[in-house]
Amino acid sequence: MIIADTVIPNFGGGAHSCVRENRGFCWSWVQDNWNSVLWPAVRQHVELTAIAIVIGFVIAFWLALLAHRRRGLEAPITVSTGVLYTIPSLALFQILVGFSFLGLNRLTVEIALVSYTLLILFRNTLEGLRSVPADVREAALGMGLTRRQVLTRVELPLALPAIVAGLRIATVTVISLATVAAFIDDEGLGSPIFRAIQSNVFKTELFAAGGLAVILALLADGLLVLAQRLVTPWARRQRA
Amino acid sequence: MKPVLNGFPWIGHHLSLVFDKLGVHLLIAGIALAVAIAIALPIGVWLGHVHRGSFAAINISNVGRALPSLAVIAIAIGIVGLGRNTLILALVVLAAPVVLTNAYVAVDTVDRDVVDAARGMGLRDRDVLWRVELPLALPLLFAGIRTAAVYVVATVPLGALTGTDGGLGDIIVNQASYRLEGVVGAAICVAALAIVIDALFAGVQRISTPRGLRGQIDFAAVQTAAAGNPQEEGTPP
Amino acid sequence: MTNRKYRDPARPLAALLAVALAIAMSACGSSNKNSSSGSSGTTTSSSSSSQPGKGKPAVTIGDKNFTEQYVLGELYAQALRAKGYTVKIKSNIGSSEIIDKALTSGKLDLYPEYTGVILSELAHATKRPGSPDEAYAKAKQFEEGRGFTMLDKTPFFDSDALAVKPDFATKNSLASVADLKKLGSSLRLGAPPEFKTRFEGLIGLKKSYGVTPAFKPLAIGLQYKALDTGKIDVADVFTTDGQLQNGKYTVLKDPKFIFGFQNVAPIVSKKTLSAQGPEFADTLNAVSAKLTTEAMQKMNAAVDLDKQKPAAVAKQFLQANGLL
Repeated sequence: MIIADTVIPNFGGGAHSCVRENRGFCWSWVQDNWNSVLWPAVRQHVELTAIAIVIGFVIAFWLALLAHRRRGLEAPITVSTGVLYTIPSLALFQILVGFSFLGLNRLTVEIALVSYTLLILFRNTLEGLRSVPADVREAALGMGLTRRQVLTRVELPLALPAIVAGLRIATVTVISLATVAAFIDDEGLGSPIFRAIQSNVFKTELFAAGGLAVILALLADGLLVLAQRLVTPWARRQRA
Repeated sequence: MKPVLNGFPWIGHHLSLVFDKLGVHLLIAGIALAVAIAIALPIGVWLGHVHRGSFAAINISNVGRALPSLAVIAIAIGIVGLGRNTLILALVVLAAPVVLTNAYVAVDTVDRDVVDAARGMGLRDRDVLWRVELPLALPLLFAGIRTAAVYVVATVPLGALTGTDGGLGDIIVNQASYRLEGVVGAAICVAALAIVIDALFAGVQRISTPRGLRGQIDFAAVQTAAAGNPQEEGTPP
Repeated sequence: MTNRKYRDPARPLAALLAVALAIAMSACGSSNKNSSSGSSGTTTSSSSSSQPGKGKPAVTIGDKNFTEQYVLGELYAQALRAKGYTVKIKSNIGSSEIIDKALTSGKLDLYPEYTGVILSELAHATKRPGSPDEAYAKAKQFEEGRGFTMLDKTPFFDSDALAVKPDFATKNSLASVADLKKLGSSLRLGAPPEFKTRFEGLIGLKKSYGVTPAFKPLAIGLQYKALDTGKIDVADVFTTDGQLQNGKYTVLKDPKFIFGFQNVAPIVSKKTLSAQGPEFADTLNAVSAKLTTEAMQKMNAAVDLDKQKPAAVAKQFLQANGLL
């Protein structure tokens, strides 16, 4: 069988000269690639972060409730979540991939990201719960509220500021770590960053993806600051 | 599980490699920290001394903490190109804010009565700063440097992902050459390094506190206040 | 402090539900954007009437974290999809050990690997092959020994090579790698970190040529810039790099073949091959046959220099060669 010679099409070199010469920032590239590269990356990044924060919060909240009831649990929980927190993310991602049941996918990334949120969220929630003065708690019990009602109606509302503060730190931490996740799972804003570095150090893509990650982080931080203000109406009144 | 446990012995078998990488790691971190302090400390101290710019000074660390490290490195590469200096530049950008904010708060919140008394005694403005405010501000000031130091040390490895030296990060990204044992070993070293640096600066904090105040200052509370909110530690990426 | 349980069972159950929901959301939401360019599951081919891939289980192709791999991944995936196969791509995998582990643990079905890399990194072969065919045969033997096999190799080989700027070459009379010996350790060589510990790297340079440069680690893709800005004197490049097309750099000859032979061939598990049927291998082999050095260089150039998307470049190439 005769195999025909390879045909090499003219790939057009259709790129804008700005892109070809890798000049500072090529807006045309951003426009052309928004829908196919940048926006999906942003969307994935938000998804990765949101899932990690939700799951991390559920777990950490439950742990904090446990430790609030039994002081002895605080130390082991702090130590284990602390160990997870200290492992460099690049290493944790690779260690997780080493397990046969974990693949190069979002699940593995999420396990790592959730691990990083636990210490912060646990400590902040616990601090918040603990910050409720003992006499307030006693007064509530004295008024006839059940333990659970004390928790939901007194302790948690007073702990909210600390909890939201913890969410704030955890969120920006996860957004930062999610960029590194592209090392094992080609998602999120880290993916265009790695590709741009590898592809002749393509500046526009670096600025676009890096800039979007920064904007995303600042936006999330800002929203949570607002949330923090909302849950502390008494502080607002103090400021007024 | 086995490769993970073998991380420790791996370190033992590759001491010279580890020390090489450690040296580069500390060099990069050290330069970045020094530059960040050189820039941010004077500004923060001055603003705190004249009690101005509180909104910016307090909030800049929040902005700084929110910045995703890899993104900042990427932008730095876009501006300056690749190389070790680019990594250092990015680390300075990431570390300076918390140093500034802590310096500001440290000087700004020195007991006004003490400052007034000093002025009342006839001390010049410059002396008030150097002989009264700064010594009293040292614990909180060093708390900020401590947070920044741990953060920088933990972020240096990202250099290996971005085309330059990453210190111990060189090993972590190179599973092909060093296998998972090496990755784990190097990761343990980074974590240990961060803990050691943290303890070191905690010691500096303690030593720098004027003897008269040592008993009165709750260092843990100072450190967490430095981080800006209820609880925080420094090691992320 | 009473021991009375204050929590009713609803709380932990609700928490568990939330966690499960979130995990389900994340598993469903995990889409790879690289597989959604141009052609999706539906065929775009007009000429081929047979769809041997229909009904076969999905295949996952992996590719490593550099341009040529992105292009290869897309070439194979799109050609398969045109024949009705369901293909997912896991792109941009940051470490060659990870990608091999992924293959052997079944997370990937196939990925394009270089024959020399298989021999040196996976098989830890000590005897160096003398020709591309020998390298391929030995690599295939190794893979078959562990339940995998290799499809046909490509005409091009993408070995490492050392490149310098033309004026540096003239100034120092450099034509082959052996000529670098005289520059001793004042020679600055830039290469990815793995270069340092590989025989197709510093080790071979020292052993076979007596060349002992100062080593500067760089990620793949950064070497040309480093050469241009004078940060390094000689760079580790790949023979199919797009940047090499127009004579801007001089590639030094490697008469002792320390960089080996690096033809590409897809590694695939025998299980996958039998599950997918004979046309699977045929489709891929038809693609590989067309991949000459020049073709690869031009495609790499289109992606790296003209910033075209790997998927688009692959599509154009396949169409021009009647494979789509």
